[in-house]
Amino acid sequence: MKRKHFFFYHVVIFIIAQIAWLSLIGLWIYWYVYNYIVYKEVGDRVSPEVSYDITNVGPFVIGLILLVGLSLITIWIFRHLTVQLRLTNLYDNFISNVTHELKSPLSSIQLSLETLKSRDVPREKQKEFVGMMIKDVNRLTRLINSILQIPALEQKKIAYSYQVFSAGSAIKQILNESLEQFRLPADTINIEENAVCKFVIDIDGLKTVFDNLIDNAVKYSLQPAKINVNIRCNTQNVVIEFTDNGIGIDSKELKKIFNKFHRVYHQNIPNVKGTGLGLYQVKEIIKNHGGKIYVFSEGDDKGTTFKIELPIYQVFKKRFVAKLLKQSEQMKQVESSNE
Amino acid sequence: MNNSTFEKHRILLVEDEENLAIGLQYNLTEEGFIVELAKDGREALKIFETKEVDLIILDIMIPYLDGFEIARRVRKKDPQMPILMLTARTTREDKVKGLELGADDYITKPFHLEELLLRVKGMIKRKTWYKVVTSEKPVVSFGKNKINFENLTCSNANSNFTLTPQEAMVMKYMIENKGKIVSRKELLENVWHMNPDIETRTVDNFVARLRKYFEVNPSKPVYIKSVRSAGYMFED
Repeated sequence: MKRKHFFFYHVVIFIIAQIAWLSLIGLWIYWYVYNYIVYKEVGDRVSPEVSYDITNVGPFVIGLILLVGLSLITIWIFRHLTVQLRLTNLYDNFISNVTHELKSPLSSIQLSLETLKSRDVPREKQKEFVGMMIKDVNRLTRLINSILQIPALEQKKIAYSYQVFSAGSAIKQILNESLEQFRLPADTINIEENAVCKFVIDIDGLKTVFDNLIDNAVKYSLQPAKINVNIRCNTQNVVIEFTDNGIGIDSKELKKIFNKFHRVYHQNIPNVKGTGLGLYQVKEIIKNHGGKIYVFSEGDDKGTTFKIELPIYQVFKKRFVAKLLKQSEQMKQVESSNE
Repeated sequence: MNNSTFEKHRILLVEDEENLAIGLQYNLTEEGFIVELAKDGREALKIFETKEVDLIILDIMIPYLDGFEIARRVRKKDPQMPILMLTARTTREDKVKGLELGADDYITKPFHLEELLLRVKGMIKRKTWYKVVTSEKPVVSFGKNKINFENLTCSNANSNFTLTPQEAMVMKYMIENKGKIVSRKELLENVWHMNPDIETRTVDNFVARLRKYFEVNPSKPVYIKSVRSAGYMFED
């Protein structure tokens, strides 16, 4: 609420500033024209024989330019302020979401520990509590890693381990691992695979991509998630179409969903948990692989399709792929020298 | 802990974090409570409408309907239902909103098990105590104010409104001790059934709210007076 007021005050100040500028210009024109007429009349009366065609508009025009310039600068400052406000808003939301995501597993760990400490818990139940704590620790680790990974991704400092894989089988393997990890029924993902080509990927990076997409498909669905993954190769790329049966994405949101911290709000599914970093991370990983990602949705309740294009091994063998493999080797060397 | 005191008391636990829900369910069951678990807002309302529950432990950020909306709907149907909000949201606005919508208590994650159990037991005890004391004299009038302690409806010179169970209990305790000084410690121990070292400011917040309801000028109270360094005193 406070932030809305803050924004409102800025808009009001901006409008007042513009009115002030325009009034000043108006006054100036009035003053100039009025004086011009007076001087002209006085001149005509005092010495009518003197002809003057001096129309010294130079200072007037320069002043006008300066004023327009100042107005433009005000607009520019205002636009930057608005962007800054929007970023602050997103950042606040991010902090609030991360706080929630951190506190939930932390509470669960604390509760399990205090339970084990204060009660005589049967052996089987003890195992269950320990299992839950391990799960929570893993969840915390994933969250912290995903946050820490963002600057590294942006600065291309991630220690990728690029290797050549057969596209179809590698993606199938990743999807099956994710299915197991998310404890989803086997029929959740239907894979249509016709991709015998090879590509160069970091298997962990691509796993993060599909984990994020599956997590979103599950979270943003009113019914049990059903996912269709189509994998094929064309002359240049491995094309992966990942389609879910979720609530879909509004056309206005489609442009923003890969933005950092951005989160989609849908009235049918409020309070979806997350940090607003998942799809940004996906985009950055795909970009670092030399690929592209697109999103399509026909709107509410019509599901969402993510189309990923990754360069195939043959086409870019001599250039990009070679660079990736070299990068990977260098990273390995740095890591081993550090050890 | 005497578990038999809480036997057959049913708690609706609304928590979508699976591990936390399992841990809470285990501990509450060990204390003798019967626990009904709801993983989202819709399920919570369904259980609330079909089963008799004595207390609701409510997370705010849950799917479909958030905790605030559930508290609002529950309070509409059952003004006396004790609601404990259990959430990771710690901003002052969230706390105020939760309490305004009728939550009786607010505990933030991560929490201590012992503190949570104390609060839950305190709320159950208060509910039982309240049932007993209100059966004797359910309607009380003072000045232009009238309180029905059974259905928690009230009226002052200007409007009709409803008290939360916690507000009603504080008011009831002070009215019962009319003309006597009631300390914050006493209120915390007897109404909240809580360790007075925990939060004496909670009492002040509740009294401030009660003054807004029943005093013509809350800054110069006539009925709920402050007694410096001692506490509060109700005078008719």
